[in-house]
Amino acid sequence: MSKKELIRLSDCVVKFDDEIILDHLNLYINDKEFLTLLGPSGCGKTTTLRIIGGFLTPNSGDVFFDGGRINDVPPHKRQVNTVFQKYALFPHLNVFENVAFGLRIAKVSGDEVRRRVTEMLELVNLKGFEKRPISSLSGGQQQRVAIARALVNRPKVLLLDEPLGALDMRLRKDMQSELKRIQQEMGITFVYVTHDQEEALAMSDTVVVMDGGRIQQIGTPEDIYNEPKNAFVADFIGESNILDGVMRADGVVEIFNRRFQCLDGGFAPDEPVDVVIRPEDVDIVSEDQGQLKGTVTQVTFKGVHYDTIVDFYGFKWLIQTTDYCPVDSRIGIKIDPDGIHVMKKSAYSGMFGDYSSYSEEYDEIGDAGVEPGGEDSGDEE
Amino acid sequence: MKGKRKGAGRLLMALVFLFLYAPILLLIVFSFNSGNSSVVWRGFSLDWYVKLFQDRLIMESVYTTLLVSILATIISTVAGTFAAIGLFGLKRRWRSPLMTVSNIPTVNADIVTGVSMCLLFAAIFQSWGVFARWFNGVQSVVELPTRLTLGFTTLLLSHIAFDIPYVILNVSPKLRQMDKNLIDAAQDLGCTWFQAFWKVILPEIKPGVVSGALIAFTMSVDDFVISYFTAGSATSTLAMTIYGMTKKRVSPEINAVSTLLFVTVLVLLILSNVLEARQEKLARRREDALKSGAEHRPAPRPRPAPPAVTRKAWFRRAVALVSAGALCVVIAALAAATNAQPVVNVCSWGEYIDEELITQFEEETGIRVNYQTAESNETLYSLLKSGGGDYDVIVPSDYMISQLIEEDMLAPLDYSKIPNFALIDDQFKNLPYDPDNLYTVPYAWGTLGIIYNASMVDEDITSWSAMFDDKYAGQVMLINNSRDALGIALMYLGYSVNTTDEQELQEAYDLLRDASDRGVYQGKVMDEVFQVMEGGNAAIATYYAGDYLTMLENNEDLRFVIPEEGSNWFVDAMCLLKGARHPEEAHAWINFMASTDACLANLDYIWYGTANREAIEAYPAYYEELYGEELDQETFDIIQTPPEVLERCEMYLVLPKETRDLYKRLWISLGV
Repeated sequence: MSKKELIRLSDCVVKFDDEIILDHLNLYINDKEFLTLLGPSGCGKTTTLRIIGGFLTPNSGDVFFDGGRINDVPPHKRQVNTVFQKYALFPHLNVFENVAFGLRIAKVSGDEVRRRVTEMLELVNLKGFEKRPISSLSGGQQQRVAIARALVNRPKVLLLDEPLGALDMRLRKDMQSELKRIQQEMGITFVYVTHDQEEALAMSDTVVVMDGGRIQQIGTPEDIYNEPKNAFVADFIGESNILDGVMRADGVVEIFNRRFQCLDGGFAPDEPVDVVIRPEDVDIVSEDQGQLKGTVTQVTFKGVHYDTIVDFYGFKWLIQTTDYCPVDSRIGIKIDPDGIHVMKKSAYSGMFGDYSSYSEEYDEIGDAGVEPGGEDSGDEE
Repeated sequence: MKGKRKGAGRLLMALVFLFLYAPILLLIVFSFNSGNSSVVWRGFSLDWYVKLFQDRLIMESVYTTLLVSILATIISTVAGTFAAIGLFGLKRRWRSPLMTVSNIPTVNADIVTGVSMCLLFAAIFQSWGVFARWFNGVQSVVELPTRLTLGFTTLLLSHIAFDIPYVILNVSPKLRQMDKNLIDAAQDLGCTWFQAFWKVILPEIKPGVVSGALIAFTMSVDDFVISYFTAGSATSTLAMTIYGMTKKRVSPEINAVSTLLFVTVLVLLILSNVLEARQEKLARRREDALKSGAEHRPAPRPRPAPPAVTRKAWFRRAVALVSAGALCVVIAALAAATNAQPVVNVCSWGEYIDEELITQFEEETGIRVNYQTAESNETLYSLLKSGGGDYDVIVPSDYMISQLIEEDMLAPLDYSKIPNFALIDDQFKNLPYDPDNLYTVPYAWGTLGIIYNASMVDEDITSWSAMFDDKYAGQVMLINNSRDALGIALMYLGYSVNTTDEQELQEAYDLLRDASDRGVYQGKVMDEVFQVMEGGNAAIATYYAGDYLTMLENNEDLRFVIPEEGSNWFVDAMCLLKGARHPEEAHAWINFMASTDACLANLDYIWYGTANREAIEAYPAYYEELYGEELDQETFDIIQTPPEVLERCEMYLVLPKETRDLYKRLWISLGV
């Protein structure tokens, strides 16, 4: 795969009446890359997509495509096509004419139109649906028409705005792998917008995590998951316990007054940091062997594992384990050095990573009740 | 119990429908009446429909109405659709107030819209005049017209203006229903904005556009008030013509034209409903077929050759181009036709001319006649005062003529261009309203008298006393205008109808008041008098001689008398307005209408007296030749009141302001 840069957003700012939607955004997208813009609603991901599509001009900053500035190029002159949220298919045209729409506008000859539309409908598994009215299609089928309609124009980039948002779980999983297959078959760039982190991790070459109009982190799915840059990314991608810690030396981090071995370094001596411990990286051991000791306050069976909430000195951790520990039992834990990830403090520090509210999110558990001795007396260890 | 309630509900529903449709049914039935009454059924005939299509005034106004409605619909639909799209694209903060503002005209009273349009046009014309005079003064290459008047263009402009909100109102909901992303999607696929509009937005909002256009069209056809204020003198829509025609009475022709209008609208409605239903059915059937056949669908058949699509597109484009071109040509031709030909603008009363005379005049002289009607002297006066009437010739009544002369609104006539003035009998020259006969040529004249039903009254009425007699309590119709009603009382009391003496007027008032309190009067009527008297619903009424003859056709028991105390006689005369744009043509028209032939034809048609000496003498022979029977002297005396009777009669003169105010006060307090 070549690493040629195709799109660059340089210092883009978008404001709607005084509200800053994009805050000095810088981003480049490589050719033939599957790039995902990931973030909660209102983070600016759709705005970024609309800038690339040409539906929105940034208040300041430049947009480059293949080296040329395209700020003032209208959507219909860009080599970019979009799959819209809720598809935006033309209700007055049938499947064939929907897909053929762009070709007809471009005045492609009739035979060519027929050939290319048929080819596209085959690619999205909709052969034989040519004459169906749009209203008679299921959500998944409409989705495929929308993709075919965009791809038939042979764009250099396909923009997808939460295309799977309206589909049910199963269909979504199917479409994820299908989209990945189509991207590889066509060999073009996909820019994909979603708020679903699983979707992002499963499909992307590169994930861009956004919040508050800013990019929080850019990287491969593995990078993003294993080496989150701040508490927001750590929390948004997967489950994380995020704790306050102090870096005592390279490879040594102190949590709850206890020192742990870790693999991170390059911090100032005694610098306060955020420490991420993924729930699956914690081993449960007997109380006396544990590096930390706590009380189980809640257990939820999740099939592959138990979600176990453990209270360590008033801070509630989520541990995913296959060992069953009954509520109120005292346990110890061990964490391997590669299970600990140290991050610099950021504006997001202290906002995420505590599982005190866990039971409220899953209210079918119901019997969480009152926790006996929530503030354990033995916390000054 | 439940069944009973259901029955009551049905009855109520039936009553509602009856209430809604009974008037229209009656109208339709009487449009087929062979007589000219709206009360007495004389058998089935299509005469009124035949007459309708020969009626030049109506046909011309139908043409104007259709042209203005179609043009206004097309233009306002295009403009309104784009306006709706523009509003739709605005931010909410701006959209809501702007939408409200654009909706106000739909709920605004028509009269306000009409008057304000009229004012606006007057203001624009004024400033244009100033500009044009200045422009013509500083250069001599182009000569701009300095005087613009209300006409077809202003009518069209105001129709467009009041149609646009209805289009916006119908298109907006469709836009709101539309997925906003569709526009983005179309542009994303290579459309310019306009292509996106044409290929995506328009098909989506088409139902709204079509219903908007239909409503705009209906509104335009239907409109009277706004048209009335903006059409000027040379243009008249159907509604205006019908209104003008009701001045004298509701002619069955109006029934016929209204029936046609009703049927047309009905057909349009049914057509659009049937189309819609069929489309829905088709769509449903197609969907069903697809659903059931989808699983076993064989490989897709090859599509019909796509070049056909482009051919079709070209064809459509060509058709659009040709029709747009044709429209332009029609408009241009229309404008040319109205400009090139010499014209005379005439304003008279409804049912007051034999229309063949207009055609005859046009053929003889090549001058086009714009024949308009007003409904009363007072309306005509206010129309002239407001600058709304761009007439050349008007035909006001005596007292109004003196008022117009007093206010310097009439131009002296050049009698050398009216040789037929010599044929006017001397007794109709130098009358009090125009003592030196500088401004007028008499058009027609008549008398006021008592009409009574001989089968309900067992004496020969000869005196105004019948109007105040207890014997006829509840059987008398009082005429519904102050001058005539108080005039009757004054004549009975032996005073002049032109008295300015407050005491005498007070006496006349007391007389009416007393009779009214005693229950003599059934009510006050003007044109309703036809129905009432023809149908035998009242025994005695006061009205004009010519109209009596019309009533007589439908009720042979009616009699007419000019009471011994004397009565009022009136003259309607042709005058030239000051500043008229076509004085030459106006003189030609006046001369033509004063000719013996025209007077004979008119006399026979309207049954009002003529002032042409030759015509008076020739009429009995003319009548005999035309109808093959001798003219009844009694009838002729009613049309052409003999001089000895006329001597008893007095003409209305214009009264001083304070007396007019007194009349108004007394009339209001009389109530009835």
